[in-house]
Amino acid sequence: MTRAELDAAMVRLGLQVPPAEREEIWAAAHYIDNMAALLRKPRPVGAEPLHTPAFPEE
Amino acid sequence: MVAEFLTIAEAARLIEKKELSPVELVESRLDRIGKYNDRLHAFIRLTADEARAAAKAAETEIAAGKYRGPLHGIPIGLKDIYETVGVPTTGHSKVMQDHVPKADGFAVARLKAAGAISLGKLATHEFAFGGPSFDLPWPPARNPWDTSRFTGGSSSGTGASVAAGLVLGGTGSDTGGSIRGPAAYCGLAGIKPTYGLISRAGILPLAFSLDHAGPMAWTAEDCAIMLQAMAGHDPADPASANRAIPDYRAALNGDVKGLRIGLIRHFYTTDNEASAATRDAIDAAAKTYQGLGCSVREITVSPLAEWAACGVTMMLSEAYAIHQENLRKRFTDYGEIFRDRMALAGLIGAGDYIQAVRRRRELVDELDRAMADLDLVMTAAAPSEAPKIDEVGKFATMERPSLTIAFNVTGSPAMSVCCGHTGDDLPLSFQIVGKRFHDATVLRAAHAYEQATPYRGKRPTL
Repeated sequence: MTRAELDAAMVRLGLQVPPAEREEIWAAAHYIDNMAALLRKPRPVGAEPLHTPAFPEE
Repeated sequence: MVAEFLTIAEAARLIEKKELSPVELVESRLDRIGKYNDRLHAFIRLTADEARAAAKAAETEIAAGKYRGPLHGIPIGLKDIYETVGVPTTGHSKVMQDHVPKADGFAVARLKAAGAISLGKLATHEFAFGGPSFDLPWPPARNPWDTSRFTGGSSSGTGASVAAGLVLGGTGSDTGGSIRGPAAYCGLAGIKPTYGLISRAGILPLAFSLDHAGPMAWTAEDCAIMLQAMAGHDPADPASANRAIPDYRAALNGDVKGLRIGLIRHFYTTDNEASAATRDAIDAAAKTYQGLGCSVREITVSPLAEWAACGVTMMLSEAYAIHQENLRKRFTDYGEIFRDRMALAGLIGAGDYIQAVRRRRELVDELDRAMADLDLVMTAAAPSEAPKIDEVGKFATMERPSLTIAFNVTGSPAMSVCCGHTGDDLPLSFQIVGKRFHDATVLRAAHAYEQATPYRGKRPTL
């Protein structure tokens, strides 16, 4: 993520992040990317998430 | 003269026999708080007058023969995310510093009904996530074993107050390790019960699908006593389990011989390498269990980073959703650690959140299969003894894969157990994990270990 992309993301999120903190957040953004990379495994199309809802039965 | 340190069980025996009055006991804890809280910052708000009144009422009831059980007259503390009627419940944050609940949360109501006496509200990381923070309305709690060190979090005040004997037990919450972490660093017993066993209603949420309420105390027996009161079905919590609650205290004395324990060594040797002292202490604990007649064999599951990616992605996303509006409107009213972690959380896309929840199903199935012929698994609760409080990074939850969040992902009961001390007298710990709704087995295993080892006899010198 470039710094410009981070700044754009903060605007889109509506967060008034002070400049000094933006540097730190940008430096830490790779943690999010790293976790996403571990999660994006090939899965069957029908692989269900854990909280598929079970509605109360009558 | 009331002893400096007492467990719930010890105090309960004395109270039931009328050899100790709740009034004396509460006063003795208030004296200790007066003496040590300025250094420990465990309490952010004392409710001394209410506690004294409750103690007097308990004394009267007990004298009249109306003894409610082992929590009657016992002084406890409430993590300041537990809604408490008429008492500000702030999440240790400016954002909610004026929030005064109109009712007790379920777990608080159950503890009060059991006769426990709250002495006040305990420090927490901001909204159970942002800490240790120095820019909040109240300072962070300090570790009684060494006040330059971190208590662990987020149940930081609970960890400090129980270890220091300011209270005999306290409430915690655990979304990624927030009971087990402070229990580990402060040398306590702390159990994150099975998901849904204790109602989340009336507890400020961090992440709905990962939040667990639970007790922290000096011993497994004390945790069992508190869990007995706190557990139970609550229709107000959609995740609340509706099943019979066993007698956790009675189950403590069952034999552990024959229990089958799987040791997940790679979690703390390669995946998130623990200190040599921690590794040695866990090895010794495994041998203790073998000496008690348990079988211990090493097992392998997915790398810790996979469990952490799943849990942390969900935790961040759900927390962000909870605070989304306030983050937009009043970002800098939050502490820097919480708000910057939330800014990172906002970068997670919906697609990746759903991948995390799909991964969650896979990991739950994986642990269930791994435990098919086991009763318990064992691993580290923390990678080392408590670090210095000013060395805990802003993004510490992501710098190294969490040793604890795996069992929030699976909803399994998991407990931190003290298994020794470093040369500097800092506690070391391991983590024992059971199958869902087998909390009694976890407590029994922890209790057996405590009975077989000397570590419950060592308290911090204040």
